[in-house]
Amino acid sequence: MNIQIKKTALIAKKLSVRMKKFIVGLALLCSPFLAFAQDAEGDAAKGETLFKNNCSSCHNVTAEKSVGPGLKGISERRDFPWLVSWIHNSQAMIASGDPAAVKLYNEYNQAQMTSFPNLSEDDIKGILAYIDQANAAPVAADGGSPAAGAAVAQSSGPSDLFVLVLIALLVVMLLVLGVLLVIVTLLSKAVSGDATGADGVPFMDRLKTTFSKAANNPAIRSATIWVFVLLVTKALIDGAYNVGVQQGYAPKQPIAFSHKLHAGEYQIDCNYCHTGVNRGKSAHIPSANICMNCHGAIKKESPEIQKIYAAIETNQPIEWVRVHNLPDLAYFNHSQHVNVGGLECQQCHGEIEKMEVVEQRSSLTMGWCIDCHRKTEVNTKGNAYYDKLVQLHNSESKEALKVADIGGLECSKCHY
Amino acid sequence: MNFQNKYSYVLAFAFLATAITSCNRDPQSTGLEFAPNMYQSVGYEPFRQVDEHPLNPMGLNMRKPVDGTVSRRNYNTSFGSGDSANVDIMVYNVPKDSISIAERTLTNPVPLNEKALAEGKVLYERYCQHCHGEGGAGDGLVGKAYKGVPNYKADAYLGMNGGHIFHVITHGKGRMWPHGSQLDPEERWKVVHYVQKLQKDS
Repeated sequence: MNIQIKKTALIAKKLSVRMKKFIVGLALLCSPFLAFAQDAEGDAAKGETLFKNNCSSCHNVTAEKSVGPGLKGISERRDFPWLVSWIHNSQAMIASGDPAAVKLYNEYNQAQMTSFPNLSEDDIKGILAYIDQANAAPVAADGGSPAAGAAVAQSSGPSDLFVLVLIALLVVMLLVLGVLLVIVTLLSKAVSGDATGADGVPFMDRLKTTFSKAANNPAIRSATIWVFVLLVTKALIDGAYNVGVQQGYAPKQPIAFSHKLHAGEYQIDCNYCHTGVNRGKSAHIPSANICMNCHGAIKKESPEIQKIYAAIETNQPIEWVRVHNLPDLAYFNHSQHVNVGGLECQQCHGEIEKMEVVEQRSSLTMGWCIDCHRKTEVNTKGNAYYDKLVQLHNSESKEALKVADIGGLECSKCHY
Repeated sequence: MNFQNKYSYVLAFAFLATAITSCNRDPQSTGLEFAPNMYQSVGYEPFRQVDEHPLNPMGLNMRKPVDGTVSRRNYNTSFGSGDSANVDIMVYNVPKDSISIAERTLTNPVPLNEKALAEGKVLYERYCQHCHGEGGAGDGLVGKAYKGVPNYKADAYLGMNGGHIFHVITHGKGRMWPHGSQLDPEERWKVVHYVQKLQKDS
């Protein structure tokens, strides 16, 4: 409004005084209408902001149900005073026994709607205007020209790129087929003895003599056997070292829980479920109540989620299979590594956020532990506990303070 | 033949070694354990269980604490120093349905400072962000699928005091389930500080 007046004033300056008077008069004459038009618009615009801030988490503007009912046509369904008192305090209305309110409350699993006493009647009018406007807009678009329909039909067909890729694949396959045919003809000729060398001996005969010559040569024979024996011995020694190493162990769990979905796609922090990881020795397997924090509402019908409900109802534990079995002879503490050492879970557990089924990625052998303790520098910055230690270390060594330097290789640190 | 005498033992060994090492590892099996009596704990460990426990219900190693057990706090209860020192044991017995009592009686014992906010932020990112979103607008990745996650800055929520927020974290409210088992009281109060900061941020 102000901008408009300013603009009008700017133009007016350039015009004669009479014209100026005339235009100002006209603007004044129009202003009530302008103001009215702007008011109605402002209402819906304000209503949109209010709706998005306050309502959209539980209601859709369309007829689709969310947490609460879809609000399409709400201004026709209910009269305005009813809506105002419902929004201001729905619980009071239900308590007073208003039949419509009680019906609604029961229909939506007795979920309590947050009261919004701060919304004035004007605010609510704005929200209603926004809902009507939002529902009117798509209808207008639907009734558009037939060209829109044509565009939709076109977009549903295969795209140009897709067709190109298909053609390219076809060409490659034909080429491969040709090459294979050539090879087959050559080989069948060789087998039938057609392909003869310069000396007139058939191909297969030449092949036989070459092989028998090589097999009868003692040097080649013993070399082959020794190479084979050495490789097998190496495999045997490796295998013996891997007794008790469970790397690659990926047991089937009682519930097909996917870390890829939860930690990867939904980016739920590991700590949310494994609450013990920065508090104690174990990272904790979450109890069913933590599953229910989300699955009380999400994917209730899935047969895998039903297993959690069944476990809760029968008060039976879910028998998850432990994946990382560190031998009891070695002590390991999660909180020490995560809290103090500041390690990421992935450093030892691999890309857990990409695993459909959890697998033991690291070997968890002593060599693997020691290797990390030798390489890892201690984060001493801003930690007065380490000040004197760093001073002492620097006087003797030029290298940074590693975990190995503060007892990370001591036997009794982990074995006692 | 000379060849047979010389190499028969070597070949027999090679055959045996191949037979031993050529089997594929089954991902369903933990494989061979060298010394199970050193690998499996003698004491009853909560997360390692080879046999059913002979006495406990359902054969579990873990047991629930006896009814009425009061957990000993393992979090700070005294904050500040000198005149501003305060002590709060943070043992609350406000029932789930008495949010108005929580609003009236609970005050945040953790002093509001940079450190508390930074810790609150870390905790918020761990326990709240996937639903409530980075800025508290209810637009977290899980929140979008869960539906009904409010915007902290909505008028109806701006007036809520720390006690109210603490009670909601502890016991849940509406569609939100209780998170008291995941956060100890001190942590909850730090989250309260951070949530209130998000509400004030524009």
